[in-house]
This record gives sequence, structure tokens and C-alpha cells, in this order.
Amino acid sequence: MYKKLNLIGLILLLVTSTLMGFGQNIANEEWNQFRGPDRNGISTDNITNSDCNGNNLELIWKQEIGSGFSELLISKGIIYTMISEKTDSLQGYEYIAAFNERDGKELWRTKVDSIYIDEDGWGDGPRSTPIIDSENIYSLSGHGKLSANSKKDGKLIWQVDFVVDFGSTTPRWGFASSPIIVDNKLIMEVGGTESRAFMAFNKSDGSIIWSDGAGNASHDSPLKVTIGGQEQILFANGSKLYSYSSDGDTLWTYNMPFRGATAMPVLIQDNKIFVSAVRNPGFFIVQISNNKVTELLTGSSMKNDYSSCVYHNGYIYGYHVAAVRCISAETGEVKWTKRGFGKGSLMLVDDKLVVLSDKGKLVIVDANPELYSELATVQALEGKSWTAPSFLKGKIYVRNLTGFACYKIK
Amino acid sequence: MKLITKYIILTLILTGAYGTALCQELDEIIQLHLKAHGDLTKWDEVESMKITGLFTAFSEEDDFMAIKTKDGSYYSELALGKADVIEGFNGTSGWTIDPWFEILYPRELNRDERNVFKQKAEFFTPFYNYKEKGIEIELIGKTNIDGIEVFEIKLTRPSRYKETWFLRADNYLEYKYTSRWVDFTYGVPSETYFDDFRDFDGMIIPCFVERTFSQRDRMLIIEDIEFNVEVDPNIFVMPRSKEIEDIDFMVGEWNVAVKAFYSRGNLWYKVDSTESIIQFESTNLISEKISFSNSFVQSTINNFTFNSNNNNYRISSYDGITSNINLFDGYKTDTTFIIENAQIGCDSTFSLNSRISYGNITVDTFEAEISQSNDNGETWNSSLKLKYYRKKEE
Repeated sequence: MYKKLNLIGLILLLVTSTLMGFGQNIANEEWNQFRGPDRNGISTDNITNSDCNGNNLELIWKQEIGSGFSELLISKGIIYTMISEKTDSLQGYEYIAAFNERDGKELWRTKVDSIYIDEDGWGDGPRSTPIIDSENIYSLSGHGKLSANSKKDGKLIWQVDFVVDFGSTTPRWGFASSPIIVDNKLIMEVGGTESRAFMAFNKSDGSIIWSDGAGNASHDSPLKVTIGGQEQILFANGSKLYSYSSDGDTLWTYNMPFRGATAMPVLIQDNKIFVSAVRNPGFFIVQISNNKVTELLTGSSMKNDYSSCVYHNGYIYGYHVAAVRCISAETGEVKWTKRGFGKGSLMLVDDKLVVLSDKGKLVIVDANPELYSELATVQALEGKSWTAPSFLKGKIYVRNLTGFACYKIK
Repeated sequence: MKLITKYIILTLILTGAYGTALCQELDEIIQLHLKAHGDLTKWDEVESMKITGLFTAFSEEDDFMAIKTKDGSYYSELALGKADVIEGFNGTSGWTIDPWFEILYPRELNRDERNVFKQKAEFFTPFYNYKEKGIEIELIGKTNIDGIEVFEIKLTRPSRYKETWFLRADNYLEYKYTSRWVDFTYGVPSETYFDDFRDFDGMIIPCFVERTFSQRDRMLIIEDIEFNVEVDPNIFVMPRSKEIEDIDFMVGEWNVAVKAFYSRGNLWYKVDSTESIIQFESTNLISEKISFSNSFVQSTINNFTFNSNNNNYRISSYDGITSNINLFDGYKTDTTFIIENAQIGCDSTFSLNSRISYGNITVDTFEAEISQSNDNGETWNSSLKLKYYRKKEE
């Protein structure tokens, strides 16, 4: 009898907690690709004001890992990213590498390409952020080699070379676009010749599933959205915004008012797309309805250079050139501006912005359009820090040009 | 009609009164702005400032040093990413050594750049002694920037470049200004913000200055200011390229003895006496005018420059008789300066056939030996020698 009651109680408890779970955001289980699980710079984890009380940002570990700009991916206790190491002043290699999440110690590394040396001196090594699935990690080197490696030990599974195989021209400052996965397809901006600007590869063996479009590879990364129940892959390339189905059909295109957006497009509400570039006019918002594009707003109050915005409750937060700014997604009105961050990066956790300055200052800011308000701050890293933070289970993972660190917020 | 006249008069009176009120208000704002910057009698005593701090460009922070003088001169040393930049301005003209242009020697500032240096050279605010500096100002009104109430003031420099300044309504300190700046020599709009005002011996100065133009972001954090430092006026003078200085032995006014080689007798004999004037034309250019006779009179103009890209000297020689321009490449050793005919483009018929060796260099003399080759530079046959004797001042 008691056993029966216990069983019923357990079932009730499970049902109740499951129902309660539906009413809330489910915290991310992994940070698996560029800008997080939904590629929007948003973590569904949470940070409360009390978490930040007393400047509660605790350094867990800090390590030197080698030059590169790839974001940090975290899954099941392992951090994956790309790094590089020079063998002399002009040569070296790029690697896909795994690190223990507890202490940042390297677990393995696998060579994927020769090192990309930046002639302007901005920083050598990989620029693109890999993506992981249950088995593998997919990465793009600065010279344009797309590789699939086993997550377990880094063993190379397949590799294609954008320049050799598809006639791509290496962009100034190297290949930087980050891959996206849709079903069994690895979708990339390739910038190849003969209608191979955008391509989908079979993620199992690297074979081509579809290719389309003309244009060189840019520094922008594709975004997957679902609008009106239809899955769409967006590319902001050259002076156009392209939408493709995952099968490679063009759904719509839009002539952007500027060329060369580097920051990623941002989905606003269910059917609006925000794109910003550092060139005039600065940003536009279009509405997509039945694959028809309607321009809603153009403005100059947000000019993203290479750092992408986040959208939250009717407002857009991002870097206007080199100042953190909040604008209305309805009108473009500036709500507040905070200078002194340089050209850093930011992401959103719950209703808090995690802001990293271009020189490694980490600040938790209330995502409140009425007021800029800092909740916690720490000089997390030294030197050039152009890589956006990653967030998982109360920990912030940050990277500068040559090292990375983990901070605990709770 | 009378009514219309009355209205016009009333309008004029009101407009005039409004204008007068604005002028009074502007004067008052400027006085309060200057007062907010500290003790003006102290500012009046400042002849020079040496500013040190940290400058950030391309997210890379490095040391910064600038010297300003009351007469509007400016000199600074800073790092722009991987490149160390030196710049100078004497209040009217200026120069920069900026490796981003792939030129390692100083170059003159253009008009837009000179306007930028006028702004950089301001002691603390352009409104200080603005009338003496020929600056015109106009109050536009009150507005709001980033939630801060500010006075908007239009400023026109004597060069007619315009700026818009925004002074905080609460403390009269500058919050922002917009102006023309330069990005790789091209004029572009800029926004500059000021913060972190600090007291330096009674003088209030913003220690955080951030400027954005095009997609650029530049941040200056002032750490220290020394007042009335001794300033060597030569730092504002445009330096010459190091390589041009290496061949400055030839600069001057010269008497020149011309000798030709007589192969049958295997001897040199004098064919002419002439003069030469060799002078600096600009930072990277020395020019020579010479006319001499061997069989007939040859008038030539020789221009000596250094080519950073090829890392050698490039000399053009204009021949007044044939109208030919001959190009030479040159290199300098410790004791000689040798120039040889240069290959132009991909001329497949090119052969090395002319050389001038400048040697036996002393303070008051040097020799130029002209040779020809018939075997692509394997062997050289001298044909002319020009011996230069520096003219003495009478």
C-alpha cells in the first residue's frame, strides 16, 4: 500500500515538475555554436540581481591557449575551440582543441591547417567559431579549410578546402564565417566560383548537397530562423540579404542599404530581421511575411562593426561603433549609451547583459532600456578581447587573443 | 500699410532683442565654461604642456605623449596598432611619420589634416581666447544628448571648418563635439566625448577622451600633465627622411671641375669648369641643377629620392638637350653612393649600362665618376669625372 502511494507520489511529483518546467525557459545544456544554441547571443539560463551582489564574479581558472578569435563551445564538461601556434615568426598551425571545463587544461588538439597570419597585426590564427553535434566538431580555418573532427579525440573525419576545391578568394583578414547545422547539412558561406557562394555539405562525409549564389566570402555568419513556420537560412553577403530553405531554394532576397555587414542578422519577435553595419545608414529592420520583404525601419542609431546585437523585450542592445547602446526596436530611438568599452562584445542571460570590453573588462549590466546599470564588474582578461563570451550553468567563459578564463557568477 | 510697418518694426525689435539675449547668454555660458576649467589666471600662465597617458587604437593600448604650446604647436608620439606614429605641427603646417601609409619618412599634412591638428593643438578648450584665435561661435540652443541637457554651440574656425560643441547645462564642461577628422588623409565626420575631469593644480582637464570617426575608435586616457616644460622648437620642424640625410653630403653650392677620360693616352683631362646647386626640396627629395660641357653643353636636373617600397634610392635625371628622363636606382655604402640605370617595368631589352659613383666624400668635396658598361654591368669604363668643391662664403 505504502509502496503504491510512494509510486503515485513520485509520478505526481514528476508531472508537476515537468508542467512547471514548461512555464519557464529551460536552461541551456550546452553552448554549442557561434552566439549560443539559438545563434542569437542569448542564454536561457538566468542571473538574478542577488547573484551579482557584492560584485560576485569569481575567477575559476585562467589559461594561455594560443592565438585565435573563435568563441568557446561548452558541452558535457569539455570546452571546444580553435587555437593556433606559431613554429616561427611566419609559420605555424591552426588546431581544433578540447579543454577540461573544470580547470581549462588541454585534453587534445588536432592540426587542421597552417596558421593564418594577419598582415595588419590584428591577431593571427582562426577567426571562425566551430559548431558541435553529438559526435563531431566542424570548424573553418583562417585559410578556408572546413574540417570535421571527432569530439572524442579530435580525429579528422573529412576536410574540404574552400580555396582549392571551390575557387574561393580568401577575404581580407581571413575566413571568419561560422558554420551552421540544419538536419544532416552543414551550411556555410563559401564564396566559391560557379554558383558556390553558399553551400550545404553532408556533415557525415563532406559531400556537397547543394550550392548556390555568387559573391565572395564575407565575415558574416548565417542565421537559422523560423518565420511563419518555415525554416530559413539567412546570409548577409555583399549588399544583399539572402534567405534560403535548408534544401537550397531561394526564398527571398533583399537589397541592403549598405555593403559588408559583419555583425550577424538578429531575429526580432517572430518575423522581423535586424541587420546592422558600421557604414551608413547603420541598420535596417525588415518584416518577412509569406516570403515578401517589407522595410520597417532604417536608422543610424546603431552601427555594428564586428560585434553582433541581442534583442530583448522590444529593445536592441549592441555596440554602436565602440559604445554599448540600447535602442528601441520599434523606433530606433536611443535609450542609453555607455562609452569606454571599445569594440567589445556582449550577450544576454535572462534579463542581464554580459558585456566584455575590447580590453577584457567583464561587466554584468541590467538589460533595462530606462537605465544603464552595472551589477558586477571584473577585469577578466588583459589585452585584445574581441571574442564574445559564452555562458553555461552560471559560468562565464571569456577569451582574449591568446588565452581564456572561466568566471563563476553564483 | 502703417500696420504692416509697425509689425515689421516690432519683429525687428524682437528679433534684435532675442539675438542680443542669445549673445548675452552665449557670453555667460562661455564664461561659466572657462570657469569650470579652473583658475583662468593659472591657464594664462601656461606656455606649454606635456601630456602622458595611454592611447587605444584597434583595441590595443599603448603609451602616448604629446607636447602642446600656447602658440598652437603640437607634437606627439603614439602607437596605432602595430605602427609607431610621430607627428608635428607648428600651428600652420605639419607632418606625420605614419607607417600605415607604407611610407617610413615624414610627409606633409593636407588641408583636412591641418584642421585636425588645429583641434589637437588646443590647450584645453577652443573657447579659451577664442576671439584672439579668430574663432566665431554661435549658440544654437539647448538640447539633450544621452539623457544629458547640453548647450549646443556652433564654432567656426578661421579656416571655415565648422564644429559643434555640446556643453553640459549642469556644470558647463564639454560633453561632446562633432567635427571633421581624417581617416587615411580623407576628411570624415567625427564625434568626440569627454569624461573624467580632473584637477591639475587648479586647472580642470578631461582625462578621458574618446573619438569615433568612420568605423574607428580612439581612446585617450591622460595620466599626467606637466606644465611649462621646456620645449625644443625643432621638434615641430618636419624632419628629413633618414635615407635622404645619408646623402646630404651633396647639399650645397659647388664649383665643379669636369674631366674626361682620354683612352688613347690613358689619362684624364679637364674639359670644363662649372657650378652646381644642390638643395633639399622636401623631406625626401634633393635636387641638383648642373650644366657642363664635354662636346656640347648639357643642362640636367637630377632629383634624388628614397623609395620605401623598394628600399633603395630612386633618381631621375632630366636632360635639357634631348628631353630624355633617365631613371636610376641607387644604394649607399659607408664611403660611396652608387646609382645605376634602372629597369622600367618589364623591359626585356634592359641592360645595365650607366653608373655614377659618388665617392671621395669630405665636408667640402666629393667626386662623381660616370661610367658605362657594354656587358650588363660585368665591367665598367669610366668616361667623366666631376669634382665638386664647396663654394666658400665671401
